[in-house]
Amino acid sequence: MKNMAGLQGMQPGAQQSVEESMRPFREFLTQYNKITEKCFTDCVTDFTTRNITNTENSCSINCLEKTLKTTQRISERFQEHQLLNVEDPSAAMQQMGK
Amino acid sequence: MAGITEAQLKLVADLEMEMMADMYNRMSTTCQKKCIPTRYKDSELTKGETVCVDRCVAKYMDIHDKIGKKLTQMSQQDEERVKQLQAQMQN
Repeated sequence: MKNMAGLQGMQPGAQQSVEESMRPFREFLTQYNKITEKCFTDCVTDFTTRNITNTENSCSINCLEKTLKTTQRISERFQEHQLLNVEDPSAAMQQMGK
Repeated sequence: MAGITEAQLKLVADLEMEMMADMYNRMSTTCQKKCIPTRYKDSELTKGETVCVDRCVAKYMDIHDKIGKKLTQMSQQDEERVKQLQAQMQN
């Protein structure tokens, strides 16, 4: 996991900032757990076998990729909206109406 | 270990433990929902419920692993792309 690499460069002794620098890693792991829960709930329905079926497998991977893409898109649109709001609040309202 | 103090290692271990507990709680709720009907006619687990719970736990861990591997793979690809872009910027 890429956030682990960031730990190497941390300054020893700075306890407060260590906690702070762990935050992205913590958020990443929480997100990971949430995605597993969601995709398992939506994709795995066959408990007559212990093995993951092909359908369950591809469903889970698609679910993961789609969730990430959706989150990214939502964040992009939200950022645009925030930016417009700062520049010109009335234009933002019009943009939302489109 | 270069640059990593014991306190930092403990923080990482604590975080790992916390996330394991979080995963366990989510799995527990999910498998109860999937395998145990809420009629509660009997206090005993039926044979079918028992087998379902066993398989649910096993499959949950499998899916957790698969998604973890895919996520790692995706973030590695991301990192490589950033490195390539940075190299291009310097040229």
